[in-house]
Amino acid sequence: MSSKSPVEIADQVSRKRAFLVAAAAVVFLSHVVARPFLAGGLDTAHHARTDLWAINAVLLLAILATGGFLLNSRKVRVLLNDEVARSNYRTAVVAGFWVAMTASMGLFVVPAFQGLGAREAVYIIVSSSLVAALLTFSLLEYRAHRDA
Amino acid sequence: MHERLDNCLRERRARLDLTQAELATMVGVSRKTINTVENGVFIPSTVLALRLARALGTSVERLFQLSE
Repeated sequence: MSSKSPVEIADQVSRKRAFLVAAAAVVFLSHVVARPFLAGGLDTAHHARTDLWAINAVLLLAILATGGFLLNSRKVRVLLNDEVARSNYRTAVVAGFWVAMTASMGLFVVPAFQGLGAREAVYIIVSSSLVAALLTFSLLEYRAHRDA
Repeated sequence: MHERLDNCLRERRARLDLTQAELATMVGVSRKTINTVENGVFIPSTVLALRLARALGTSVERLFQLSE
């Protein structure tokens, strides 16, 4: 039986979450950069990679939307997603939105991108905005724990 | 208009000899929330401000002030 209070458990999990969300975003970004969907044609290997990318993107979206760590008790989850976490989540989603808008406008305006198909465009927009939202959330959570 | 909200949460908490974690437990929020409110990083909702004031045995007006 754990002797830690829900507040102490939530504090530890929240710190871990800030780190793990940033790590997940960096790993996702490194896969996007290392295996560019844009290089080469849409052969079977590329389809498999994009399927994997889509699964990763959905998982990361689920982490962002739920605050992650659904395995914790309800009491700890409530503390994990309290006012500050919800505020940080909203700020992160706004950051992701603006990155998505900027990327979309860039794809529309920059001549080099005008030959891209819908799937490639979605790949770029979702990847960039998701990473921006996750990193923003992680940074804000890290700052919230700082100077305690 | 973007005004800063000053607060004497830390002083009040120290006077009552409470840790951030203890106050967080009393109010039903995370320690991170107490920390960000004390540091002026986060402006709490009215409900949270009322709960903090009640836990510290004071009024919201005494706990929070608009900076000059």
